[in-house]
Order: sequence, then C-alpha cells, then structure tokens
Amino acid sequence: MAVFRPPFPLAGRGPAASASFARTGVTASPVAALYGAGMDDAALIARVLDGDAGAFTVIVDRYHGDCSRFALRMLGHRQDAEDAVQDAFLGAYRGLARYRERQTFRAWLYRILINRCRSVARQRRRRASRFVADERALADAPAAARDGDHVLRDSLQTALDALDPRLREAVLLKYGEGLDYRTMSEMTGAGISALKMRVRRACAELRPRLEESR
Amino acid sequence: MNDDRFDRLSEDFRATPSAGPEARARLLERIGRVPPPRRGARFGELRMPAPLAAAAALLLVAAGLLGPRAWRTAWSPPARRSDAVAAASLEAAVVRFELSAPGAARVALVGDFNDWDAAATPMRRVRASDRWTVSLPVATGRHVYAFVVDGTRWVGDPLAPRAPEDGFGSPNSVLVVGGAESTL
Repeated sequence: MAVFRPPFPLAGRGPAASASFARTGVTASPVAALYGAGMDDAALIARVLDGDAGAFTVIVDRYHGDCSRFALRMLGHRQDAEDAVQDAFLGAYRGLARYRERQTFRAWLYRILINRCRSVARQRRRRASRFVADERALADAPAAARDGDHVLRDSLQTALDALDPRLREAVLLKYGEGLDYRTMSEMTGAGISALKMRVRRACAELRPRLEESR
Repeated sequence: MNDDRFDRLSEDFRATPSAGPEARARLLERIGRVPPPRRGARFGELRMPAPLAAAAALLLVAAGLLGPRAWRTAWSPPARRSDAVAAASLEAAVVRFELSAPGAARVALVGDFNDWDAAATPMRRVRASDRWTVSLPVATGRHVYAFVVDGTRWVGDPLAPRAPEDGFGSPNSVLVVGGAESTL
C-alpha cells in the first residue's frame, strides 16, 4: 500500500496557518505556496492521479473550511459534521478517477458531502428513536459522556434546525454557499423548480424566526 | 423574504466557527491510511472476461452482416414527433385559480410557473366572500402549485390532485395543462 505523504507535518504550524492566514490575507498555506496558488482543481487532480498524493492536501485546504461550515449548519452538531466531512473527502479521494471535468470539482465534492449529511442525519434519527425511551439512563449518565458541547447553539442554528432537512439544504446552498440553481440541481439531484420552491419555503419559515431572535 | 434581508443570513453563515486545524489534521491522517487513487482504465486498456468479449465480438459481426439499413430501421425516431412536442410546448392556457380561505388577509398563488415567488401572483378577494381568485396564462405541461395564506401558511388546493413530491407537511397540488383539456 502506498503511503500518503503530505509535504509538511500534519500537526503544528501548517494547518493552523492555512486556516488563520487566509482570513488576514497575510499569506497562503505552505502547501499552496509549494504547488502555486494558481493551480486549478483539474491540474491538482491530475497530479494526484499521476501518483503525487500530496497534491490532494491543497484540495483539502481549498474546500475543507467551506465543507465543514456547510455540514455544521446542516447537522448542527460538530462531531457529526466532522464525520460527514471526513467521509466526503475520503469518498472523493478514493473515487477521484471517476471525477469528470464536465462538473466542477466543487460541485462533485459537495454532492458527495450532501449525501453524507443526509446519511448522517438518517442515522441520527434512528439513533434518537432507539434511545428516546431511556431518558432516565440519559439523565443519570455522567456529564462528560453527553455530547452537549458538540451541539451548535445560536439563533441561526435554532431557526435552521426547525426546517425540514431538504429546505435547510436548499437555503444553505443558496444563501450560505451563494450558488445558482443549476449548480444546486447538479449537487442535490433535485430539479431547479423544486429547489426554487424549497428556498422560497425556507425563507418564509425562517423570516419570523430570525426576526424574533434579533 | 427578499435578498437584502438574506444578506444577513449569508453573513451569519459565513461567521460559522471554523472546524479548526485539528479537524483538518484528523482528516489528512485518515486520508493517509487510504491507498492513493489511480487513473481508471482508458478505452484501449479495458479488460473484459473472455466469454463476454466473445459475445461482444459476435454481436459486432452480426451487426456488420445486417448492414446499415437494419440499424436505420431499428433506431429511426418516430417521424415528426419532435415537431409536435415543440408546437405543444409553445401553447398556454389561461387558468383561473380559486381558494376559499376564511379569515385570510391576503392570499398568493405560487408554483413552478412563477418561481414559487409569493410576491409574484397575489390573489384577489371575491367581493364579500372568503373566496380568492386569480387568472393567469400557464404553459402546456404539468405544473405544481400551492397557495400562500397571509404570507406564511402554505396550503394545497383542496380541489386538485396532490403532488407526491416536496409536500413538507402541506402538499402541493398538480395542474396539467394539456392540448385539448386542462385538469385542475
């Protein structure tokens, strides 16, 4: 089995630098500097498929933040979101040879992520229905065992959580990711008209909740 | 909700806390345990089990013996079908929508024909009644629609078939505008 070798240590300055410096505009991450910030996704993917597995680190740098944000807002739970994002990137990495450039890499990756989020949400619902009857055991459980710290709590999340998952997905792609309906359709597999309806419905439901909280 | 108000939603969304460098490191660690992807087989490199390859070769030979005429017969599309579809797609019918909504202050029609915009097609109250109505031209084909009562409550049309998709607890309705008749 070949070993994936990122061109810098996995922990420490590299990852932190790419996340924080991107906001301040001081510099790009060491990896991006190594490969050239201008290298597009297709070129990076070609390098990965040619055996340069480290080039995938640049892809991770490029999309990890956005994907994490989307998953966190979709699922409202940090650990679930991280699991979904990890699975999505792993799925993309394993299936990279199947990627075709008629779709942008971002759309392809998001399609995988959206499906992962849907699966995680389904598993969570099953989990919840299995344990809902055992409230006493839950109350007796030690505080450290509860996952309250992983739950995202703000007014936006409260409003989003109340939406049907398909409405939440549509409104996050439209207003969170700023996508057009055609791209959203590619990502979700839903028709453009259905997506427009979902966004409108989500807006109608979100409006009173958000105004109430401000 | 107009787009201006949703500028704030976009801002709030972008202010969502980042996953952090540890999450990224954990991801890269997992990726590191996976064999690197390889290019898929190109056309010339496709491998097929021997019996399947033999069957494919036989099919190709048979196709050659039958000749191009047989292929043409088998694959020709029905004559002028596309012309008929194109003509039908240009047609539209004026459809009158009605809803009885006691106590409503305003009612709007939304559907795939107006991009589900609750501001696009307000309905008019029929004088001294609970009935609301609007007429508009709708293109030939199947449409999904609903009513929005007082800006927030989405209701289906009680007198029309319901659409199976995207009900979200208050099913949409289906309208089929056909060449000869319309179903409401």
